[in-house]
Order: sequence, then structure tokens, then C-alpha cells
Amino acid sequence: MPRKRTKYRKWRYLSLSAAFLLILLTPILNLYFHFTFVQGWYQSLGIGRLWIVSPLEGLESLLISKYVYLPSLIGISIPIIVAFYLGRVFCSWICPISFLHETIDLIRKKFFNFNPLTWKDKIVLALKIIWFALIGEFVLSMILGFPIFVFISPPGLVGRELMLGIIFHSLALEGLIVLLILFLHLFTRRFYCRYFCPLGGLLSFIGHKRKLKVRLRSKKCTQCGICEKVCPMGLPVNRGGSYSPYCWNCGECVDYCPTGALSFYWKRNYYLKPLNEKSKTGNSKVQNDNPLQGE
Amino acid sequence: MDRRLFLKFLATGILVGCAPGEFTSSPIKTNVLRPPGAIPEDFFASRCIRCGRCAESCPYRSIKILDIKHGFYAGTPVIYAEKIPCYLCMRCVKVCPTGTLQKVSQKEVRMGLARVNRRLCVTWNGTGICRSCYNACPFKEQAIKLDRLRPIVVPEACVGCGLCTYSCPVKPKAIVIEPIYAFKASK
Repeated sequence: MPRKRTKYRKWRYLSLSAAFLLILLTPILNLYFHFTFVQGWYQSLGIGRLWIVSPLEGLESLLISKYVYLPSLIGISIPIIVAFYLGRVFCSWICPISFLHETIDLIRKKFFNFNPLTWKDKIVLALKIIWFALIGEFVLSMILGFPIFVFISPPGLVGRELMLGIIFHSLALEGLIVLLILFLHLFTRRFYCRYFCPLGGLLSFIGHKRKLKVRLRSKKCTQCGICEKVCPMGLPVNRGGSYSPYCWNCGECVDYCPTGALSFYWKRNYYLKPLNEKSKTGNSKVQNDNPLQGE
Repeated sequence: MDRRLFLKFLATGILVGCAPGEFTSSPIKTNVLRPPGAIPEDFFASRCIRCGRCAESCPYRSIKILDIKHGFYAGTPVIYAEKIPCYLCMRCVKVCPTGTLQKVSQKEVRMGLARVNRRLCVTWNGTGICRSCYNACPFKEQAIKLDRLRPIVVPEACVGCGLCTYSCPVKPKAIVIEPIYAFKASK
């Protein structure tokens, strides 16, 4: 009998909902209750005196204006540290666009008989495109001299739309971009996140040597291929896809794996400092990163 | 799509992008101002990360966010002095995360300079007596002085908050804010 494992899916949806509620409630609290402790959204979030600035926006502003502003740098460093250790977790656990995607998936599951196991993505491109999107975005912004993330960074777009809707009772035209992204999701799961999101590209670049990874135990794996089907990024998890920089640690494959071959693990350093002479010679604990060799 | 069509699209795109117009030129003009402490317009759009926290923190809803119709300037904050002027509460400068709005005190704010149109102003053209702008000014006797009841702006003390424009009963407004400091090239 297989032991009952934690369902990351439930926790992830909870976290996404909480994150979405945060940016939905913040303008309301600010406007009607004058509660200004929390302000902003995922472009720049202010919690008391702590400022968190989105690394994409902050870096682009720094590169274009060639001006270093210390509060902004400190604000950038927090998400960068998180991405360095945990990888692209912002995208799968916090991003409001991810929340909307998941909600669409839930509706589709309920009413339109959507099943991720039988679902086939309609448009499949090379995952490498995300690097070109990231580089292109930076280069184009530097040529134009204006940041263009305003139009193509969806977390900021959603937050700005919510703020404008609540405070000024009007929506900006940029909302159409959000609708377009959600529309593309109907053809390929997370189409924009997979191939074009510059923020996602930056976070996966920062986190390509992340500590938290999904480990594949080759001995338990039966090559059923379910993980590859359910992966929202379309990664071949059974062939070591979870070790690639594109993995965003959502835990979907861990939930669906029937044999329990997949699990999260915190990668420690390869060569642990030996405690005494004995451990130096042979029995040192070295974690295996290679999926093909197993444990 | 064949190559020629693609190149045509590309060329049109570049031409549209580079053409001077509302898309690429600054939205700042008479009575359309940047929030207090803003850096010059040359750097404003490149340093601002469009987080909108100035608009969110503004208790008077003076600060508006531009939309995509303004092209490269979309998402940047402006104040329409005729609709809601700036009341100089200085909350926006405290929350700006990028230093686009620099931390200045009330008296150091230079959003623009008030200009009296002597032909429209009822006191100046002799059709009546009005001192709405003088009454509204947060720096009375410093920024606006009265010369035989006629308002005179002192450029050294005027912060350009737009309260005078807002209170002016004449239409079109006899006192307007010119954002002269926004286009001063200095860093």
C-alpha cells in the first residue's frame, strides 16, 4: 500500500489564491480603510518599511538609466536570493497570472471534461525561446531607451489593472494583453509562461543552479510518462527534465507520480567536509544528482 | 507570410514607433505635471518601473496612471492640475522604490511654475476683483503676492502644485502651471 503523500497541488492553489487576494485586497484596504502597511503589487511590494522590487523591472531600470539607487537594489536582492535557492517558484506559487491559469483549469476540469492526462498541447515550440525572449526584451529596451516590460510582464499588468479598477474605477487597455495570454493558455498550457515571459526567463536563469529540485529515483520509475503529460511546462520529467533550468518546482509531477519516484529534495553540497579521517576514505555521504544512476 | 510582407510590416512598425506623436513624445505639458520630486523628463520614463505605488498612496487621487495609448510613457504617473491638484502631502516621494521621485521637502518641490494670463484674469483686466489663487496658494505671500489686489507669482518660491489653477474660476483658466523644470537637462 502506497503511503499517503502531501498534495502539493492543494497547497499551491492555496498559496496562489492568497497571493492574488493580497493584491486584490491591498488597494481596497488602502482606499477605504486607510491601511497603508501593505502597498503595491508584484512590481513593487511594500510591507511596512520593507520593499520588494521585481528583479526584471529593477534591473531594466538600472540598465537603461545607468543610475544605482540603493533601496531599489535591496528590493531586488530579496527575490533574487529566493530564486537562487528555490528556482522559479515565484511563477508557480505566487504569480497572479498563474492563479488565473489554474482557475481556468479548474473550470475546465469541472465543466468541459478537461483531463491533463489526455490533454495534448496544440502549439509546441522549443523551450529555448524563453532565453531569446529575455535577451530580446533587454536589448530592445536598451535600444529604445524605454522599458517595454510594461506591456509584456503579466504579473505587473494584472496588479496594475486591479489597482486601476478599484481606485479609479476604470481599466486600462493593457488588460487585453492579459486576456490574450489567458486565451493562448487554452491551446497550450502556460504558453506565455513557457516561451515568452521575460520575468520567468530571468528567474530561471538566476535559479539554474537552484538547491530545491524534483528528484527522480530511477529504480522506482516505471517510465509510464504521466509526469511528462501533467507537467505544465511540458518537460520530460522521466528523462531528467526536472533538473533543467526550465523546471519551476510546482510539484505537479510529484503529485501525479503513481510509484513515488519523484520527490522534492534540497540539494546539499556535493563534497561535504569530512568530520574525521574515516569518512574521508570512503563512506562520505554524497547525494546523487544524476537521474540515470539512481540512488 | 512571405519575406517581403514581413519586411513591410517591420518597416511600418519601426516608422510608427519612431514617428513623433503621442506614442513617443512626453505627455507633460501645461497643467499636466509629474508628481513632486520627479527627476527631469529625459530620464523619468527610463527610471520609473511603473509600479504605481505613488498613485496608490496618493490620498487625494491626484496622481493618475497613463495607459497604453501614451506608448512608451504608459504606466507613468501624472497629475492633471485642472482636475485634482497636488496638495503636497509628500506621501508619493516616500514610497517610490526607484528614486524617480526624489525625497524632497514641501518647499523644494518644483513641479512647474504658475503663470498668470493678464488678459483672462478678472483682477488684471479690470472686470472684477478675485483672489482665489492667492487664497488657495499653500505659500501665501511667498509664492503669490498681491500688487494692488492683482496676483503676482514669485518664481523662486512657487512649487507648481496647481492649487491656484484648480481654484481659478475663470474659463479658460487665467493661471496655469507650466512644467518648465521637467525639461531642464540635468541629472
